[in-house]
Amino acid sequence: MTEANNIFNAVPCTFCGCLCDDIIIEVDGNRIVKNTNGCAISKERFIGHAENRCLEPTVSGKTVSLEKAIERAVEIITSSKRLLIYGLSSTENDAQREAYRLAELTGSVVDNTTSVCHGPTILGAQESGEATSSLAEVRHRSDLVIYWGANPAAAHPRHIPHYIRQPGEYIKDPKNDRKIWLIDIRETTTARMVDRFIRIEPRTDLEVIQTLRALIRGHKLDVSQVGGISIADLEEIAIAMKSAKYGTLFFGLGLTQSWGRHRNIDAAIRLIQDLNAHTKWGLLPMRGHYNVSGANKTSTWVTGYPYAVDFARGYPRFSPGEYTAVDMLARGEADALLNIAADPVAHFPRSAVSHLTKIPVINIDPKINMTSQVAEVNIPAAIAGIECDGAATRMDGLPLYLRKVIEPPEGVIPDRDILRMIIKSLEKVMK
Amino acid sequence: MNSGSVYVLVTSGRTLSQGRAMEKGKMTSDYEDAVAVCELDATSMESLGIENGETVVVKSGIGEIAVKAKLNKNLHPGLAFIPCGPYFNYLLDSYTQHTGMPGFKSLAVTIDAAPEMKISTIEELAKKIKEGK
Repeated sequence: MTEANNIFNAVPCTFCGCLCDDIIIEVDGNRIVKNTNGCAISKERFIGHAENRCLEPTVSGKTVSLEKAIERAVEIITSSKRLLIYGLSSTENDAQREAYRLAELTGSVVDNTTSVCHGPTILGAQESGEATSSLAEVRHRSDLVIYWGANPAAAHPRHIPHYIRQPGEYIKDPKNDRKIWLIDIRETTTARMVDRFIRIEPRTDLEVIQTLRALIRGHKLDVSQVGGISIADLEEIAIAMKSAKYGTLFFGLGLTQSWGRHRNIDAAIRLIQDLNAHTKWGLLPMRGHYNVSGANKTSTWVTGYPYAVDFARGYPRFSPGEYTAVDMLARGEADALLNIAADPVAHFPRSAVSHLTKIPVINIDPKINMTSQVAEVNIPAAIAGIECDGAATRMDGLPLYLRKVIEPPEGVIPDRDILRMIIKSLEKVMK
Repeated sequence: MNSGSVYVLVTSGRTLSQGRAMEKGKMTSDYEDAVAVCELDATSMESLGIENGETVVVKSGIGEIAVKAKLNKNLHPGLAFIPCGPYFNYLLDSYTQHTGMPGFKSLAVTIDAAPEMKISTIEELAKKIKEGK
């Protein structure tokens, strides 16, 4: 695994969905000492890999051997009638595959963090199809890039500098040949990085998108403004979108988490389809966790569905709103949780978290997080892309191989191996 | 001068410091400093009679939580911002419109100055959640 002078080149960063694969990692012994090319968050992830770690398995707060922790996890799983398996977006594809195997074996529900990020994106695409493109295609061709309800300066710090403000085959001068716009309810840091910021009123995304669709189709509207933007300005925006040679719409949680949910995405996809009657446009979600896109893909390959999958009847069924983690917990339906590489206590609404405190929780994570505080069983894991290899999928669907640059702490193994141990023990118990 | 409560829509989302602190570790003071914050526009700060860094209490239909006020000159009046994390989620109901997705954006809240209130640490908040408070 070592390279010359302990310097690893072209390491993919496992923070956000950009999966920037030009990171140079310098290692001294078993410590990462330098991250070149990474953003501020990437540097924190790699250089701070040893901080706040969960180093030993625990059961009810007491340190135990890995075997004992697995034994208790298996007891919880076998005595559960409605197990929820959740997380999976900050780990690699093989671990995800083991989680689906476990769900099938135990007749459980398996959901990933998509349900609280781009779940509505998938629902929108199921309604209306996808008009997608790749990040490379955008860099080489796109002369108009619009971010909608996204703040890449905070969530995907290198999205603009690494992929968008770069010259491409047909965009020689990215500053002048490519225009970048932002549509949002807040004037975020990203607003200062783009060529034009368009502020809309909160909760009006759907109306603004539908208005643009009407204008692009040539309809005249008898209102003076929509979402706080004058019709004259919206007409000018519609003309600019139709006049682009190759447009790209990147959208974030400002569309998926706001009023309208998947209807916003449904409308955005149809807007892109309408524009494709005039010119070329593509649409891409700004995926957050580095392998949440992979979680959707592996889940679809294995179960037929991207998230919220129930195996209670022995075959997979898909029903967002029913088998999604927040709904299952808020209804008090799940009677045990196996959480892998996520932190639902920090990121779920209060009543869902409240139910989590009443049921046994098995938490597999490299770090001590808020879910560790309520979990009966905590099992430490190696950090994928730093302490073990694997594969992950970039926000545009490109799979990338993750590198191992240092050894994990002693006795700490990858998520996939922990899950395999649980499955092996379960198979013995269930015989 | 404190003229009482302000009524705003509060939205949650990522910030660079929240992302960095999250990667370092959620049980660190960096994380608490990054997420126990409410960004307010100048008009709201003036209405509440508070300065940058003072404590405010944010109340939704299901609960209230104390966080640190932070002036954001670029925010439009009527809108506030709390970085995504346990402090915002403490105020959020679980209704997902049958999609799986809670309403992390534009939650209607009331904000008051709360100089007497203490901001819970991450450990205290975890304990509070564990005890079902």
